[in-house]
Amino acid sequence: MTIVEKPTTPVPKVVLHNTRTRVIGGIMIALALFVIFVFALGSSSGSHSQLTFDPVNTTNSPIRLGTLTVLTRWSNLILGLAMLGLGVEVFWRQPRRGVMARFGGVAVLLLIALLFWAARTGGPSQISYVNLTSILVGSSEVVMVLIYGALSGVMCERSGVVNIAIEGQFIAGAFIGTIIASKTNDFFIAAIVGAVAGGLIGLLLAFFAVRYLVDQIIVGIVIVTGISFFSAYLNQQVFTPYPNLNTGNIAPSLPIPLLYKIPIIGPLFFNQSGFFYCMIILVCLVSFALFKTRYGLHVRAVGEHPDAAATVGISVARVRYINVALGGAIAGIGGVAFMASQGQFLPDYTSGFGYIALAAMIFGRWRPSGAVVASIIFGMGVYLAANLQEFSVPISGEILQMFPYLITIAVVAGLIGRVRPPAADGKPYIRD
Amino acid sequence: MWMSLTSQNPVIVTILALILGFVVGAFIIIFTTASILDAFRGFFSSWSAPGHAFKITFDNVGAAYRDMFTGSVIDPAGFWHSLTTGKGWDNTLTPISETLTYATPLVIVSTAVGISFQTGLFNIGGNGQAVLGGIAGAVVGSMIKLPMVIHLPVTLIAGILGGALAGALPGILKAYTGAHEVIVTIMENYVIYAFLLYVVLSTPYQQPGQSNDIGRSIHSSAQLPPIFGDSSGLRVSYGIFIAAGVVVFAWWFLERSSLGFDFRVTGASPTAAKASGISPRAVVVLVFLISGGLAGLAGIVQVASTTHYVDGTFLIGDAGIGFTAITVALLGRNKPVGILWASLLFGALGVGGRAMQAATGIPFDLATVIQSVVVLFVATPVLVKEIFRLRAGKTQALQLGTQGWG
Repeated sequence: MTIVEKPTTPVPKVVLHNTRTRVIGGIMIALALFVIFVFALGSSSGSHSQLTFDPVNTTNSPIRLGTLTVLTRWSNLILGLAMLGLGVEVFWRQPRRGVMARFGGVAVLLLIALLFWAARTGGPSQISYVNLTSILVGSSEVVMVLIYGALSGVMCERSGVVNIAIEGQFIAGAFIGTIIASKTNDFFIAAIVGAVAGGLIGLLLAFFAVRYLVDQIIVGIVIVTGISFFSAYLNQQVFTPYPNLNTGNIAPSLPIPLLYKIPIIGPLFFNQSGFFYCMIILVCLVSFALFKTRYGLHVRAVGEHPDAAATVGISVARVRYINVALGGAIAGIGGVAFMASQGQFLPDYTSGFGYIALAAMIFGRWRPSGAVVASIIFGMGVYLAANLQEFSVPISGEILQMFPYLITIAVVAGLIGRVRPPAADGKPYIRD
Repeated sequence: MWMSLTSQNPVIVTILALILGFVVGAFIIIFTTASILDAFRGFFSSWSAPGHAFKITFDNVGAAYRDMFTGSVIDPAGFWHSLTTGKGWDNTLTPISETLTYATPLVIVSTAVGISFQTGLFNIGGNGQAVLGGIAGAVVGSMIKLPMVIHLPVTLIAGILGGALAGALPGILKAYTGAHEVIVTIMENYVIYAFLLYVVLSTPYQQPGQSNDIGRSIHSSAQLPPIFGDSSGLRVSYGIFIAAGVVVFAWWFLERSSLGFDFRVTGASPTAAKASGISPRAVVVLVFLISGGLAGLAGIVQVASTTHYVDGTFLIGDAGIGFTAITVALLGRNKPVGILWASLLFGALGVGGRAMQAATGIPFDLATVIQSVVVLFVATPVLVKEIFRLRAGKTQALQLGTQGWG
């Protein structure tokens, strides 16, 4: 260790950085022009879109807001110009920070413009209004599951273990969760058992990755394949003869007194299932534990520089075991939450959410707060892509299905190089 | 790297891993079969109960594994019958023909995945690439009419190009933006599944007069015919020669060609590769083009020899061929010949799993679970040795090294 490594020259990176920012800015401008010419100028001047704010089920929302009617052409023009402004700003100024946040903003504006356009009067759709609240509440379920997964990723990767088995932990949680929920109708117990199941899978991953130094990505993928088919096997072997074990109860919502009455915010934040509140608590807890406690310092040290951590007496293996198990437990609860919002367990019904959560974690720069923002953007995209059909958008449903995954690819491609994973992420620690 | 563990008698490790896999499978059967559990519930009720419980266990597990074997390799009774009377060979050979049919595309995809693994890249998108290859080939095979001498090669090439196109995206993104290929290929899989549904549900390729997710059948001039003719009922087709050719090509490519050497150097040590003048970007893109192209070939071979059309669940049902291929490549230690044996083995497991389900009702997914368990153990030879050391008294220290987010 006496050799002093020459620091890599930063010059080429800056050049790469600039072209990359330029490309992202260019894409943003292109999307903005698309909105202006197709969604704004392409809709007839007289047509208008309606926004409503009352949830579909109004029993818990005593205050009504009525509807807001806007002219499709002008509102979309404003949205398009806002997008254009953001795009030009990124292209011109090439800001060093927040480029992807602006890109996310443009993506959200694009979706809103698309909704306005799809719901316009005289358009092909039967529905001539956009219910903002039901969109937010609907996507919050997807967002919640992604946050659980991304948090799990943060826990594991901060300690230097790539948890690519999040998908497997989702499946395990959903599977166990439906059995417990069907038997007891108690989602609290279901969540605990799901956490244990996810934690055990995390331990399995850690066992192979930490103790036997097997490549973490390979173990993760093999575990996901195994769990996925084990659940398909059990689905047929157990749920077919005993359908009462998989009744698919939906978790009840627990309104928080008074607060749930607030329009829009009430149904979104204060009239959710226990899993939603649990998610918020976990985000705070993980943020606090990782960045404000001694243990968090140990975890980050192990993830960044295990040799140094070991030198000061931290047990690298122990920290990794604990964190991967806890991360797995969080993803396990996420699986139960997924089941509790989607209903009956079906093989493969998590359809890659675990991997999208992983991408959200990268997008969120390995931070719980970033993971939340990223999960919101991804989750909204997933939800809208799945539900745009309601508005008879002239794009086939199969093509719409691609969007969440395409967005993920674009984000991962646009982002790597700007974000830095924990230095020892994915590398097994071999004690000398 | 763990691949170099081949020197530590890989055959033994593999066999022990297989045994462990089947043991785990047996326990899964025991814990999920009502009749076995019922027998154990009355374990202490009478003197004969324990014996009865174990008998039921062995009957059930034994039947499952026996059906797996007779359904995928050969039924000894039928074989003896054919040998003595000279009749019924078609029936006797059906299981092995099915195994070969199942293994044909699997060998090709696994080789594709193995090449990428040897270069240190994770191609998890073998499934999507095979599907896109199948779509491209099926469109060419069904919508154009040509004499067979031209049509078949053109169809196969279309499949290769389709797969290479799917491989190009993760390759280029990895090379020029650094996007990790695992996430990109997994996401691309889902994109291609959606595209598959779109293609088989929309006008040009959807089977005319159908509203289901089913595509047009390819013309007979684009098909790989069964070796023993249509009348025998044996489905094994000339596709196995393509698979064999791919294995030979991959062996030559990796062991003898200079580009293949560049690939392996990059996989063993990217810094050394760069220092010796190999362009890492070119290698990444080429690996994904070749790997994707081969996976696409597997897709079109599957269409041309077995299914003859593409439907909404093409190659996605079961494990999804790309994911089985990952386990096959790991089991075969990414070496073409090893992959060949591993594919035959997993082909037999897949076909046997179906036969087991038909005979005993135990879902065939068990076969995939066993595959995953086997591969976990194969990837962890130290663990296998530790488990068996208890009895055999073997000790051996092995060191492994791996790589992560890249």
